[in-house]
Amino acid sequence: MEESNWEPKVVGFLCHWCSYAGADLSGSARLEYPHNIRIIRIPCSGRVDPLFILRALQNGVDGVLVSGCHPGDCHYQSGNFHARRKFAVIKRLLEYVGIEPERVQFSWVAASEGPKMAKVIGEFVEGVRRIGPNRLFKDDKKDGE
Amino acid sequence: MENRLREEAGKLLKEGKVDYIIGFGKGTVKFRTSPLITNKEEDLKDLVINPFITNNLSRYPVEIKGRVGIVVKGCDSRSLTSLVQDKKVNREDLVILGFPCDGVVDIKKVEVQIDEEIDRVTGIEREGENLTVQMDGSKKTMPFRDVIFDKCYGCEYPTPLEYDVLLGSEVPPSLEIEKSLKGIKELEEMDARERWGYWKEQFSKCIRCYGCKNVCPACFCERCFVDVNIPQWVSTYATWQDNLVFQLMRTLHVAGRCSDCGECERACPVGIPLRSLQRKMVDEVKDLFGHEVGIDKDAPPVFTHYEATDSEEFIK
Repeated sequence: MEESNWEPKVVGFLCHWCSYAGADLSGSARLEYPHNIRIIRIPCSGRVDPLFILRALQNGVDGVLVSGCHPGDCHYQSGNFHARRKFAVIKRLLEYVGIEPERVQFSWVAASEGPKMAKVIGEFVEGVRRIGPNRLFKDDKKDGE
Repeated sequence: MENRLREEAGKLLKEGKVDYIIGFGKGTVKFRTSPLITNKEEDLKDLVINPFITNNLSRYPVEIKGRVGIVVKGCDSRSLTSLVQDKKVNREDLVILGFPCDGVVDIKKVEVQIDEEIDRVTGIEREGENLTVQMDGSKKTMPFRDVIFDKCYGCEYPTPLEYDVLLGSEVPPSLEIEKSLKGIKELEEMDARERWGYWKEQFSKCIRCYGCKNVCPACFCERCFVDVNIPQWVSTYATWQDNLVFQLMRTLHVAGRCSDCGECERACPVGIPLRSLQRKMVDEVKDLFGHEVGIDKDAPPVFTHYEATDSEEFIK
């Protein structure tokens, strides 16, 4: 694809009990959010293994959004609290090795927050668009290629 | 010191207080030590304590059934306590022979100082603050603190925090933190693109020998995710991409358990500065959750636990 036609492709890991329903609600309310996101439903933000994020980036997506329930609202009582500790170190490590902070985002969006979900996705996609395509895991081009 | 250790270890075996003794033995390579695990009293004469006892022995009690007597330095004792927190070993099954350690000699640094391969050296003696290296027909004296591992400069707990027998007297902490962060400060000053380029170059060297994970006391999963084939998360073929994903995951798995013992970096045959990843995360975990590894054996492991007030300024 030519650079000028590039559209970011991002993946969203959304919790079944809140953010996924939030995305659904924003659809029912006919709110628009960028179609650049591919949503994967997960049972809880605590289910997110850092491997999901790293492998997604390795496989070439331009950004990863992880969204779960607000603290205190977890369907499993404490899944998002545990996730929050995990996300904090993931965020710090990824920045330290040189992955742009805009590429990986964590959010809390409730089932009732349709407009917020649309806004979060919109802003995230715009952030990714600003930093450009993910070439992190691409091999350097050799001469003549 | 060695005699005291052999005596104590002998007593433990004779009185039946432990089934095995885990200590440092003479290695097959000059000056290096290797783990010595034995249940026979006659083997105890091979136990050593010298300036080269780099191994972190705390991973062995996890694999050994029965009670063990184990020799630990300050950093090792924190790894061991962390394993007790994770319930991988029972404190009751351990008799900890603590050794207050004021630094371990990095043989690579000695080689740089004498500008010779270690094979040419016939003897190394420590006298107080100096280290004397004997070579064929010549000798060179250097300050001991010039040739210790980088991690030792910033060792805040050189005396084991948890022990049953202390071999020697307590050692004051070494607070040359800046010096122990060699490599990390330089990385922090680079921009993101340069940092990524740096790690990309480093992990192009990786041959995926898994030395880092095999030597690490915090790497205690019975089945490592790299060995899982359905789904296969990481290719077994050593590409820099998969090498980097493997090491980043390992770093996250041991975050909150790593005591900065530096064994991963020492074990690495291709010289990847792995401590620059691990040590960074030690500091991040302390900064985020106020958690220092292996200080309190009754505290819960940092990632099985949370506070309602944990920081979430990064969550949008």
